[in-house]
Amino acid sequence: MAPFEKAQHPKPFKQRKSFATRKQEVAGIRSKFPTKVPVIIERYHREKYLPPLDKTKFLVPQELTMTQFVTIIRNRMTLMPSQAFYLLINNAGIASMSLTMAQVYKDHKDEDGFLYMTYASQEMFGHCKCVDQFLT
Amino acid sequence: MDAATLTYDTLRFGEFEDFPETSDPVWILGKQSNALTEKDEILSDITSRLWFTYRKNFQAIGGTGPTSDTGWGCMLRCGQMILAEALLRRHLGREWRWVRGQQPREEYIRILNSFIDKKDSYYSIHQIAQMGVGEGKSIGQWYGPNTVAQVLKKLAVFDRWSRLAVHVAMDNTVIIEEIKRLCMPWLDFEHSADPLEMNGYMEGACAMAFDDAAVWKPLVLLIPLRLGLSDINEAYIETLKQCFMMPQSLGVIGGKPNSAHYFIGFVGEELIYLDPHTTQPAVEPCESSEIQDDSYHCQHPPCRMHICELDPSIAVGFFCQTEDDFDDWCTHIRKLSSCRGGLPMFELVDSQPSHLISTEAINLTPDFSDSDRLERFFDSEDEEFEILSL
Repeated sequence: MAPFEKAQHPKPFKQRKSFATRKQEVAGIRSKFPTKVPVIIERYHREKYLPPLDKTKFLVPQELTMTQFVTIIRNRMTLMPSQAFYLLINNAGIASMSLTMAQVYKDHKDEDGFLYMTYASQEMFGHCKCVDQFLT
Repeated sequence: MDAATLTYDTLRFGEFEDFPETSDPVWILGKQSNALTEKDEILSDITSRLWFTYRKNFQAIGGTGPTSDTGWGCMLRCGQMILAEALLRRHLGREWRWVRGQQPREEYIRILNSFIDKKDSYYSIHQIAQMGVGEGKSIGQWYGPNTVAQVLKKLAVFDRWSRLAVHVAMDNTVIIEEIKRLCMPWLDFEHSADPLEMNGYMEGACAMAFDDAAVWKPLVLLIPLRLGLSDINEAYIETLKQCFMMPQSLGVIGGKPNSAHYFIGFVGEELIYLDPHTTQPAVEPCESSEIQDDSYHCQHPPCRMHICELDPSIAVGFFCQTEDDFDDWCTHIRKLSSCRGGLPMFELVDSQPSHLISTEAINLTPDFSDSDRLERFFDSEDEEFEILSL
Protein backbone atom coordinates (compact mmCIF):
# COMPACT_ATOMS: atom_id res chain seq x y z
CA MET A 1 0.00 0.00 0.00
CA ALA A 2 1.18 3.47 -0.79
CA PRO A 3 2.59 5.44 2.12
CA PHE A 4 0.55 8.36 3.40
CA GLU A 5 -2.67 6.81 2.13
CA LYS A 6 -4.09 6.81 5.61
CA ALA A 7 -3.10 10.39 6.36
CA GLN A 8 -5.91 12.61 7.51
CA HIS A 9 -7.05 15.36 5.20
CA PRO A 10 -8.12 18.43 7.11
CA LYS A 11 -10.79 20.54 5.54
CA PRO A 12 -9.48 22.80 2.80
CA PHE A 13 -8.24 26.16 4.06
CA LYS A 14 -11.08 28.00 2.34
CA GLN A 15 -13.63 25.96 4.28
CA ARG A 16 -11.88 26.41 7.61
CA LYS A 17 -12.10 30.20 7.55
CA SER A 18 -14.68 32.66 6.41
CA PHE A 19 -14.07 34.95 3.46
CA ALA A 20 -13.95 37.98 5.77
CA THR A 21 -11.33 36.38 8.02
CA ARG A 22 -9.18 35.38 5.08
CA LYS A 23 -9.42 38.80 3.50
CA GLN A 24 -8.49 40.49 6.76
CA GLU A 25 -5.58 38.13 7.21
CA VAL A 26 -4.19 39.01 3.78
CA ALA A 27 -4.63 42.71 4.36
CA GLY A 28 -2.73 42.47 7.64
CA ILE A 29 0.13 40.39 6.31
CA ARG A 30 0.48 42.40 3.09
CA SER A 31 0.86 45.62 5.03
CA LYS A 32 3.53 44.01 7.18
CA PHE A 33 5.34 42.25 4.30
CA PRO A 34 4.53 44.13 1.12
CA THR A 35 7.20 42.32 -0.93
CA LYS A 36 6.01 38.83 -0.07
CA VAL A 37 3.10 36.97 -1.57
CA PRO A 38 0.64 34.99 0.61
CA VAL A 39 0.26 31.48 -0.80
CA ILE A 40 -1.88 28.55 0.33
CA ILE A 41 -0.46 25.15 -0.63
CA GLU A 42 -2.59 22.09 -0.13
CA ARG A 43 -2.25 18.46 -1.09
CA TYR A 44 -4.71 17.12 -3.65
CA HIS A 45 -7.21 15.16 -1.55
CA ARG A 46 -6.73 12.04 -3.67
CA GLU A 47 -2.94 12.21 -3.60
CA LYS A 48 -1.43 8.92 -2.43
CA TYR A 49 2.30 9.26 -2.98
CA LEU A 50 3.48 12.72 -1.99
CA PRO A 51 3.75 13.43 1.74
CA PRO A 52 1.66 16.10 3.43
CA LEU A 53 3.37 19.41 4.15
CA ASP A 54 3.47 20.60 7.75
CA LYS A 55 2.46 24.12 6.73
CA THR A 56 -0.34 25.40 4.55
CA LYS A 57 0.32 29.15 4.55
CA PHE A 58 3.48 30.53 3.00
CA LEU A 59 4.82 34.01 2.55
CA VAL A 60 6.97 33.88 -0.54
CA PRO A 61 9.36 36.55 -1.84
CA GLN A 62 7.70 38.03 -4.91
CA GLU A 63 10.86 37.86 -7.02
CA LEU A 64 11.12 34.07 -6.60
CA THR A 65 10.43 32.17 -9.82
CA MET A 66 8.05 29.23 -10.00
CA THR A 67 11.05 26.98 -10.67
CA GLN A 68 12.71 28.15 -7.45
CA PHE A 69 9.49 27.80 -5.52
CA VAL A 70 8.89 24.25 -6.81
CA THR A 71 12.49 23.41 -5.91
CA ILE A 72 11.91 24.60 -2.34
CA ILE A 73 8.77 22.49 -1.96
CA ARG A 74 10.42 19.48 -3.61
CA ASN A 75 13.36 19.76 -1.21
CA ARG A 76 11.03 20.17 1.72
CA MET A 77 9.42 16.84 0.82
CA THR A 78 12.83 15.27 0.05
CA LEU A 79 11.62 14.06 -3.33
CA MET A 80 13.95 12.40 -5.81
CA PRO A 81 14.46 14.43 -9.00
CA SER A 82 12.76 11.62 -10.93
CA GLN A 83 9.57 11.79 -8.86
CA ALA A 84 6.59 13.48 -10.46
CA PHE A 85 5.48 16.67 -8.70
CA TYR A 86 2.99 19.19 -10.06
CA LEU A 87 1.84 22.41 -8.49
CA LEU A 88 -1.52 23.38 -9.94
CA ILE A 89 -2.81 26.89 -9.54
CA ASN A 90 -6.49 27.20 -8.61
CA ASN A 91 -6.85 23.43 -9.20
CA ALA A 92 -6.62 24.09 -12.92
CA GLY A 93 -3.28 24.44 -14.58
CA ILE A 94 0.44 24.73 -14.15
CA ALA A 95 2.01 28.18 -14.25
CA SER A 96 4.91 28.78 -16.55
CA MET A 97 7.96 27.88 -14.49
CA SER A 98 9.90 30.99 -15.48
CA LEU A 99 7.26 33.39 -14.12
CA THR A 100 7.93 35.11 -10.83
CA MET A 101 5.60 34.73 -7.88
CA ALA A 102 4.58 38.36 -8.34
CA GLN A 103 3.40 37.65 -11.90
CA VAL A 104 1.57 34.48 -10.91
CA TYR A 105 0.00 36.30 -7.97
CA LYS A 106 -1.19 39.14 -10.16
CA ASP A 107 -2.86 36.79 -12.66
CA HIS A 108 -4.28 34.15 -10.35
CA LYS A 109 -4.85 35.50 -6.87
CA ASP A 110 -8.19 34.71 -5.28
CA GLU A 111 -10.76 37.34 -4.32
CA ASP A 112 -9.63 36.92 -0.72
CA GLY A 113 -6.07 37.90 -1.69
CA PHE A 114 -4.42 34.49 -1.26
CA LEU A 115 -2.84 32.58 -4.12
CA TYR A 116 -4.12 28.97 -4.03
CA MET A 117 -2.02 26.03 -5.16
CA THR A 118 -2.61 22.30 -5.01
CA TYR A 119 0.13 19.72 -5.40
CA ALA A 120 -0.18 16.24 -6.84
CA SER A 121 1.99 13.58 -8.45
CA GLN A 122 0.57 11.38 -11.21
CA GLU A 123 -2.18 8.79 -11.18
CA MET A 124 -1.24 5.13 -11.51
CA PHE A 125 -2.98 2.89 -14.00
CA GLY A 126 -4.25 -0.64 -13.60
CA HIS A 127 -7.71 -2.07 -13.41
CA CYS A 128 -7.90 -5.25 -11.50
CA LYS A 129 -8.02 -6.00 -7.81
CA CYS A 130 -5.90 -9.09 -8.41
CA VAL A 131 -2.84 -6.85 -8.18
CA ASP A 132 -2.88 -7.19 -4.40
CA GLN A 133 -1.76 -10.77 -4.54
CA PHE A 134 1.68 -9.69 -5.74
CA LEU A 135 2.08 -6.92 -3.24
CA THR A 136 2.08 -8.89 -0.03
CA MET B 1 -9.53 -14.59 -12.80
CA ASP B 2 -8.73 -15.82 -16.30
CA ALA B 3 -12.32 -16.63 -17.10
CA ALA B 4 -13.40 -13.17 -16.08
CA THR B 5 -10.68 -11.57 -18.17
CA LEU B 6 -11.57 -13.59 -21.23
CA THR B 7 -15.24 -12.73 -21.00
CA TYR B 8 -14.38 -9.08 -20.61
CA ASP B 9 -11.98 -9.16 -23.52
CA THR B 10 -14.42 -11.01 -25.77
CA LEU B 11 -17.09 -8.49 -24.99
CA ARG B 12 -14.74 -5.68 -25.84
CA PHE B 13 -13.67 -7.27 -29.08
CA GLY B 14 -17.23 -7.27 -30.37
CA GLU B 15 -17.45 -3.55 -29.75
CA PHE B 16 -15.05 -2.13 -32.28
CA GLU B 17 -16.67 0.47 -34.36
CA ASP B 18 -15.53 1.00 -37.87
CA PHE B 19 -13.30 3.98 -38.48
CA PRO B 20 -15.53 7.08 -38.83
CA GLU B 21 -16.51 8.40 -42.26
CA THR B 22 -15.65 12.03 -41.70
CA SER B 23 -14.09 14.89 -43.54
CA ASP B 24 -12.25 15.95 -40.37
CA PRO B 25 -8.53 15.46 -40.82
CA VAL B 26 -7.12 12.34 -39.18
CA TRP B 27 -3.78 12.83 -37.45
CA ILE B 28 -1.70 9.76 -36.65
CA LEU B 29 1.78 10.25 -35.19
CA GLY B 30 2.51 13.47 -37.04
CA LYS B 31 0.87 12.45 -40.32
CA GLN B 32 -2.35 13.89 -41.69
CA SER B 33 -4.83 11.83 -43.72
CA ASN B 34 -8.35 11.97 -44.98
CA ALA B 35 -10.71 9.31 -43.65
CA LEU B 36 -12.92 9.45 -46.76
CA THR B 37 -10.24 8.88 -49.35
CA GLU B 38 -7.34 7.28 -47.46
CA LYS B 39 -9.02 4.92 -45.03
CA ASP B 40 -7.03 1.83 -46.06
CA GLU B 41 -3.79 3.74 -45.71
CA ILE B 42 -4.82 4.96 -42.24
CA LEU B 43 -5.70 1.46 -41.07
CA SER B 44 -2.50 0.01 -42.51
CA ASP B 45 -0.50 2.73 -40.74
CA ILE B 46 -2.17 1.94 -37.40
CA THR B 47 -1.80 -1.81 -37.85
CA SER B 48 1.90 -1.29 -38.51
CA ARG B 49 2.48 0.04 -34.98
CA LEU B 50 3.69 -2.52 -32.47
CA TRP B 51 0.78 -3.41 -30.20
CA PHE B 52 1.66 -4.74 -26.77
CA THR B 53 -1.07 -6.24 -24.63
CA TYR B 54 -1.38 -8.17 -21.43
CA ARG B 55 0.14 -11.63 -21.83
CA LYS B 56 -0.12 -14.80 -19.79
CA ASN B 57 2.09 -17.83 -19.32
CA PHE B 58 5.40 -16.07 -19.74
CA GLN B 59 8.50 -16.94 -17.68
CA ALA B 60 7.89 -15.95 -14.06
CA ILE B 61 9.25 -12.46 -13.44
CA GLY B 62 12.31 -12.70 -11.20
CA GLY B 63 11.98 -16.51 -11.27
CA THR B 64 9.13 -16.72 -8.78
CA GLY B 65 6.96 -13.69 -9.59
CA PRO B 66 3.88 -13.29 -11.78
CA THR B 67 3.57 -15.17 -15.09
CA SER B 68 0.93 -12.76 -16.39
CA ASP B 69 0.55 -8.99 -16.26
CA THR B 70 -3.23 -8.95 -16.60
CA GLY B 71 -4.63 -6.22 -14.35
CA TRP B 72 -1.38 -4.43 -13.57
CA GLY B 73 0.79 -4.25 -16.69
CA CYS B 74 -1.21 -1.82 -18.83
CA MET B 75 1.01 1.22 -18.30
CA LEU B 76 4.13 -0.93 -18.69
CA ARG B 77 2.71 -2.13 -22.04
CA CYS B 78 1.99 1.45 -23.08
CA GLY B 79 5.58 2.32 -22.24
CA GLN B 80 6.70 -0.55 -24.47
CA MET B 81 4.49 0.74 -27.29
CA ILE B 82 5.80 4.30 -27.22
CA LEU B 83 9.41 3.09 -27.08
CA ALA B 84 8.77 0.55 -29.87
CA GLU B 85 7.45 3.42 -31.96
CA ALA B 86 10.69 5.28 -31.32
CA LEU B 87 12.70 2.21 -32.40
CA LEU B 88 10.62 1.74 -35.58
CA ARG B 89 11.19 5.41 -36.37
CA ARG B 90 14.90 5.06 -35.60
CA HIS B 91 15.61 1.94 -37.65
CA LEU B 92 12.85 1.78 -40.28
CA GLY B 93 11.39 5.30 -40.57
CA ARG B 94 7.88 6.69 -40.35
CA GLU B 95 6.82 5.36 -43.78
CA TRP B 96 7.61 1.74 -43.01
CA ARG B 97 4.57 -0.56 -43.07
CA TRP B 98 3.94 -4.02 -41.69
CA VAL B 99 2.37 -6.41 -44.16
CA ARG B 100 0.85 -9.55 -42.75
CA GLY B 101 2.65 -12.71 -43.82
CA GLN B 102 5.36 -10.81 -45.67
CA GLN B 103 9.02 -11.56 -44.95
CA PRO B 104 9.94 -8.92 -42.38
CA ARG B 105 13.10 -6.86 -42.42
CA GLU B 106 15.92 -7.83 -40.11
CA GLU B 107 15.69 -4.56 -38.16
CA TYR B 108 12.02 -5.24 -37.49
CA ILE B 109 12.75 -8.69 -36.06
CA ARG B 110 15.43 -7.20 -33.88
CA ILE B 111 13.08 -4.52 -32.57
CA LEU B 112 10.29 -7.02 -31.87
CA ASN B 113 12.71 -9.35 -30.11
CA SER B 114 13.71 -6.61 -27.69
CA PHE B 115 10.14 -6.60 -26.33
CA ILE B 116 9.46 -10.34 -26.17
CA ASP B 117 8.29 -11.47 -22.70
CA LYS B 118 11.47 -13.02 -21.41
CA LYS B 119 13.91 -11.87 -18.82
CA ASP B 120 16.78 -10.83 -21.07
CA SER B 121 15.01 -8.83 -23.80
CA TYR B 122 16.03 -5.17 -23.46
CA TYR B 123 12.53 -3.84 -22.86
CA SER B 124 10.56 -6.92 -21.76
CA ILE B 125 7.84 -6.73 -19.14
CA HIS B 126 10.38 -8.53 -16.93
CA GLN B 127 13.00 -5.82 -17.34
CA ILE B 128 10.49 -3.00 -16.89
CA ALA B 129 8.89 -4.53 -13.78
CA GLN B 130 12.27 -5.24 -12.20
CA MET B 131 13.80 -1.86 -13.04
CA GLY B 132 10.71 -0.27 -11.48
CA VAL B 133 11.85 -1.47 -8.08
CA GLY B 134 14.41 1.35 -8.18
CA GLU B 135 11.53 3.79 -8.71
CA GLY B 136 9.77 2.49 -5.62
CA LYS B 137 7.44 0.10 -7.44
CA SER B 138 7.40 -3.53 -6.40
CA ILE B 139 6.73 -6.12 -9.10
CA GLY B 140 3.05 -6.15 -9.98
CA GLN B 141 2.36 -2.64 -8.73
CA TRP B 142 0.67 -0.11 -11.00
CA TYR B 143 2.76 2.44 -12.87
CA GLY B 144 2.08 6.00 -13.90
CA PRO B 145 3.36 7.57 -17.13
CA ASN B 146 6.35 9.08 -15.33
CA THR B 147 7.24 5.76 -13.67
CA VAL B 148 7.47 3.92 -16.97
CA ALA B 149 9.31 6.83 -18.60
CA GLN B 150 11.96 6.77 -15.86
CA VAL B 151 12.36 3.01 -16.24
CA LEU B 152 12.68 3.17 -20.04
CA LYS B 153 15.37 5.81 -19.67
CA LYS B 154 17.40 3.41 -17.53
CA LEU B 155 16.83 0.41 -19.79
CA ALA B 156 17.72 2.20 -23.03
CA VAL B 157 21.32 2.59 -21.84
CA PHE B 158 21.89 -1.15 -22.38
CA ASP B 159 20.58 -1.15 -25.95
CA ARG B 160 23.81 -0.35 -27.75
CA TRP B 161 22.35 -1.20 -31.13
CA SER B 162 19.88 1.68 -30.98
CA ARG B 163 22.05 4.03 -28.84
CA LEU B 164 19.04 6.13 -27.98
CA ALA B 165 19.26 9.11 -25.67
CA VAL B 166 16.09 8.92 -23.59
CA HIS B 167 15.36 12.15 -21.77
CA VAL B 168 12.53 12.57 -19.28
CA ALA B 169 11.78 16.27 -18.85
CA MET B 170 10.60 16.95 -15.30
CA ASP B 171 8.66 19.91 -13.88
CA ASN B 172 7.01 20.70 -17.24
CA THR B 173 10.27 22.13 -18.45
CA VAL B 174 12.34 21.09 -21.44
CA ILE B 175 15.87 22.49 -21.18
CA ILE B 176 17.52 22.63 -24.61
CA GLU B 177 21.08 22.71 -23.27
CA GLU B 178 20.47 19.59 -21.19
CA ILE B 179 19.22 17.70 -24.24
CA LYS B 180 22.11 18.81 -26.45
CA ARG B 181 24.60 17.64 -23.81
CA LEU B 182 22.82 14.32 -23.62
CA CYS B 183 22.70 13.75 -27.37
CA MET B 184 26.20 15.12 -28.05
CA PRO B 185 28.16 14.22 -24.92
CA TRP B 186 31.51 14.76 -26.68
CA LEU B 187 30.85 18.53 -26.77
CA ASP B 188 31.27 18.73 -23.03
CA PHE B 189 34.93 17.88 -22.75
CA GLU B 190 35.94 20.87 -24.88
CA HIS B 191 34.55 23.19 -22.25
CA SER B 192 35.64 21.25 -19.23
CA ALA B 193 38.34 22.93 -17.15
CA ASP B 194 38.76 20.17 -14.62
CA PRO B 195 41.53 17.83 -15.87
CA LEU B 196 40.10 14.87 -13.98
CA GLU B 197 36.71 15.39 -15.47
CA MET B 198 38.36 15.93 -18.82
CA ASN B 199 39.99 12.50 -18.66
CA GLY B 200 36.59 10.95 -18.22
CA TYR B 201 35.21 12.77 -21.21
CA MET B 202 38.27 11.96 -23.30
CA GLU B 203 37.76 8.29 -22.67
CA GLY B 204 34.14 8.65 -23.60
CA ALA B 205 35.01 10.56 -26.73
CA CYS B 206 37.58 7.96 -27.82
CA ALA B 207 35.15 5.14 -27.24
CA MET B 208 32.64 7.01 -29.32
CA ALA B 209 35.08 7.62 -32.14
CA PHE B 210 35.58 3.85 -32.44
CA ASP B 211 31.89 3.24 -32.12
CA ASP B 212 30.05 5.38 -34.59
CA ALA B 213 31.82 8.71 -34.47
CA ALA B 214 30.47 11.85 -32.94
CA VAL B 215 26.97 11.91 -34.33
CA TRP B 216 23.82 13.00 -32.55
CA LYS B 217 22.35 10.21 -30.46
CA PRO B 218 18.72 9.78 -31.58
CA LEU B 219 16.56 11.46 -28.95
CA VAL B 220 13.48 10.05 -27.28
CA LEU B 221 11.96 12.93 -25.35
CA LEU B 222 9.31 12.01 -22.80
CA ILE B 223 7.47 14.76 -20.94
CA PRO B 224 5.34 13.58 -18.01
CA LEU B 225 2.56 16.05 -17.26
CA ARG B 226 -0.50 16.61 -15.17
CA LEU B 227 -3.10 18.58 -17.09
CA GLY B 228 -5.55 19.00 -14.24
CA LEU B 229 -6.50 17.36 -10.95
CA SER B 230 -9.45 15.02 -11.49
CA ASP B 231 -10.25 16.06 -15.06
CA ILE B 232 -8.23 17.46 -17.89
CA ASN B 233 -8.33 21.26 -17.99
CA GLU B 234 -9.97 22.00 -21.33
CA ALA B 235 -7.57 24.85 -21.95
CA TYR B 236 -4.93 22.18 -22.73
CA ILE B 237 -6.91 20.29 -25.35
CA GLU B 238 -5.80 22.26 -28.39
CA THR B 239 -2.17 22.12 -27.29
CA LEU B 240 -2.46 18.39 -26.77
CA LYS B 241 -3.83 17.92 -30.27
CA GLN B 242 -0.90 19.90 -31.63
CA CYS B 243 1.45 17.29 -30.20
CA PHE B 244 0.05 14.64 -32.54
CA MET B 245 0.52 16.99 -35.49
CA MET B 246 4.27 17.37 -35.19
CA PRO B 247 6.38 15.12 -37.39
CA GLN B 248 8.41 14.18 -34.29
CA SER B 249 5.32 12.89 -32.46
CA LEU B 250 5.58 9.55 -30.68
CA GLY B 251 2.07 9.93 -29.30
CA VAL B 252 1.03 10.04 -25.68
CA ILE B 253 0.87 7.48 -22.90
CA GLY B 254 -1.92 7.98 -20.42
CA GLY B 255 -5.43 6.66 -20.19
CA LYS B 256 -8.86 6.81 -18.74
CA PRO B 257 -8.97 6.55 -14.94
CA ASN B 258 -7.33 3.19 -14.12
CA SER B 259 -6.89 1.99 -17.73
CA ALA B 260 -3.73 2.94 -19.56
CA HIS B 261 -3.81 3.53 -23.31
CA TYR B 262 -1.29 4.44 -25.97
CA PHE B 263 -2.70 7.43 -27.84
CA ILE B 264 -1.42 7.68 -31.39
CA GLY B 265 -3.57 10.44 -32.84
CA PHE B 266 -6.96 12.09 -33.07
CA VAL B 267 -9.86 12.77 -35.37
CA GLY B 268 -12.24 15.61 -34.50
CA GLU B 269 -12.70 15.52 -30.73
CA GLU B 270 -11.74 11.86 -30.42
CA LEU B 271 -8.39 10.40 -29.50
CA ILE B 272 -7.27 7.27 -31.36
CA TYR B 273 -5.47 4.72 -29.24
CA LEU B 274 -4.06 1.24 -28.94
CA ASP B 275 -5.45 -0.60 -25.95
CA PRO B 276 -3.33 -3.12 -24.01
CA HIS B 277 -6.35 -4.59 -22.19
CA THR B 278 -6.56 -7.91 -23.99
CA THR B 279 -4.82 -10.93 -22.54
CA GLN B 280 -2.98 -12.96 -25.16
CA PRO B 281 -0.81 -16.02 -24.60
CA ALA B 282 2.92 -15.25 -24.47
CA VAL B 283 4.77 -15.89 -27.72
CA GLU B 284 7.88 -18.06 -27.68
CA PRO B 285 10.94 -16.03 -28.61
CA CYS B 286 12.28 -16.88 -32.04
CA GLU B 287 15.54 -15.74 -33.61
CA SER B 288 14.65 -16.82 -37.13
CA SER B 289 12.63 -14.71 -39.50
CA GLU B 290 9.61 -16.95 -39.00
CA ILE B 291 8.58 -14.94 -35.98
CA GLN B 292 4.94 -15.28 -34.93
CA ASP B 293 4.11 -11.60 -34.94
CA ASP B 294 0.40 -11.45 -35.82
CA SER B 295 -0.58 -10.83 -32.22
CA TYR B 296 1.77 -7.81 -32.03
CA HIS B 297 -0.27 -5.78 -34.49
CA CYS B 298 -3.75 -4.48 -33.82
CA GLN B 299 -5.77 -5.71 -36.78
CA HIS B 300 -9.19 -4.44 -35.77
CA PRO B 301 -10.21 -0.79 -36.18
CA PRO B 302 -8.47 1.26 -33.48
CA CYS B 303 -10.31 2.34 -30.33
CA ARG B 304 -11.44 5.93 -29.92
CA MET B 305 -12.58 8.04 -26.99
CA HIS B 306 -13.59 11.64 -26.41
CA ILE B 307 -10.60 13.78 -25.56
CA CYS B 308 -12.33 15.07 -22.39
CA GLU B 309 -12.34 11.54 -20.95
CA LEU B 310 -8.54 11.61 -20.82
CA ASP B 311 -7.08 11.25 -17.34
CA PRO B 312 -4.91 14.34 -16.69
CA SER B 313 -1.77 12.28 -15.92
CA ILE B 314 0.05 11.68 -19.19
CA ALA B 315 3.47 11.62 -20.78
CA VAL B 316 3.94 13.14 -24.22
CA GLY B 317 6.64 11.63 -26.44
CA PHE B 318 8.77 12.91 -29.32
CA PHE B 319 11.54 11.42 -31.42
CA CYS B 320 14.36 13.44 -32.97
CA GLN B 321 16.62 11.39 -35.20
CA THR B 322 19.02 14.28 -35.84
CA GLU B 323 19.97 17.59 -34.31
CA ASP B 324 18.07 19.31 -37.14
CA ASP B 325 14.96 17.36 -36.14
CA PHE B 326 15.34 18.61 -32.61
CA ASP B 327 15.92 22.23 -33.69
CA ASP B 328 12.84 21.95 -35.88
CA TRP B 329 10.84 20.63 -32.93
CA CYS B 330 11.98 23.58 -30.80
CA THR B 331 10.85 25.98 -33.52
CA HIS B 332 7.41 24.29 -33.61
CA ILE B 333 7.04 24.54 -29.84
CA ARG B 334 8.10 28.20 -29.75
CA LYS B 335 5.62 29.03 -32.51
CA LEU B 336 2.88 27.22 -30.58
CA SER B 337 3.48 29.03 -27.31
CA SER B 338 3.60 32.43 -28.99
CA CYS B 339 0.17 32.07 -30.59
CA ARG B 340 -2.96 32.32 -28.51
CA GLY B 341 -5.62 29.66 -28.07
CA GLY B 342 -4.59 26.80 -25.85
CA LEU B 343 -2.43 26.82 -22.76
CA PRO B 344 1.16 25.57 -23.15
CA MET B 345 1.53 22.16 -21.49
CA PHE B 346 5.24 22.61 -20.90
CA GLU B 347 7.89 25.23 -21.25
CA LEU B 348 10.94 25.24 -23.48
CA VAL B 349 14.00 27.08 -22.11
CA ASP B 350 17.54 27.48 -23.44
CA SER B 351 19.47 26.60 -20.33
CA GLN B 352 19.12 25.57 -16.74
CA PRO B 353 18.39 28.64 -14.68
CA SER B 354 21.66 29.44 -12.88
CA HIS B 355 20.12 29.40 -9.41
CA LEU B 356 19.31 25.72 -9.81
CA ILE B 357 22.96 24.80 -10.10
CA SER B 358 23.22 25.63 -6.41
CA THR B 359 19.84 24.90 -4.92
CA GLU B 360 21.43 25.04 -1.49
CA ALA B 361 21.83 28.76 -2.03
CA ILE B 362 18.11 29.16 -1.61
CA ASN B 363 17.49 29.81 2.03
CA LEU B 364 15.12 27.08 3.06
CA THR B 365 14.90 27.89 6.73
CA PRO B 366 12.26 30.21 8.06
CA ASP B 367 13.43 33.72 8.66
CA PHE B 368 13.34 33.98 12.44
CA SER B 369 13.45 37.74 12.74
CA ASP B 370 10.38 37.84 10.50
CA SER B 371 8.77 35.02 12.47
CA ASP B 372 9.05 36.93 15.72
CA ARG B 373 7.39 39.95 14.27
CA LEU B 374 4.77 37.70 12.74
CA GLU B 375 3.93 35.89 15.93
CA ARG B 376 3.34 39.14 17.74
CA PHE B 377 1.22 40.23 14.86
CA PHE B 378 -0.84 37.06 14.70
CA ASP B 379 -0.61 35.67 18.19
CA SER B 380 -4.28 34.70 18.20
CA GLU B 381 -4.00 32.65 15.01
CA ASP B 382 -3.91 28.87 15.07
CA GLU B 383 -2.08 28.60 11.78
CA GLU B 384 1.12 30.48 11.18
CA PHE B 385 2.68 31.59 7.96
CA GLU B 386 5.92 30.01 6.96
CA ILE B 387 8.08 32.84 5.72
CA LEU B 388 10.49 32.12 2.91
CA SER B 389 13.40 34.45 2.32
CA LEU B 390 16.07 34.65 -0.32
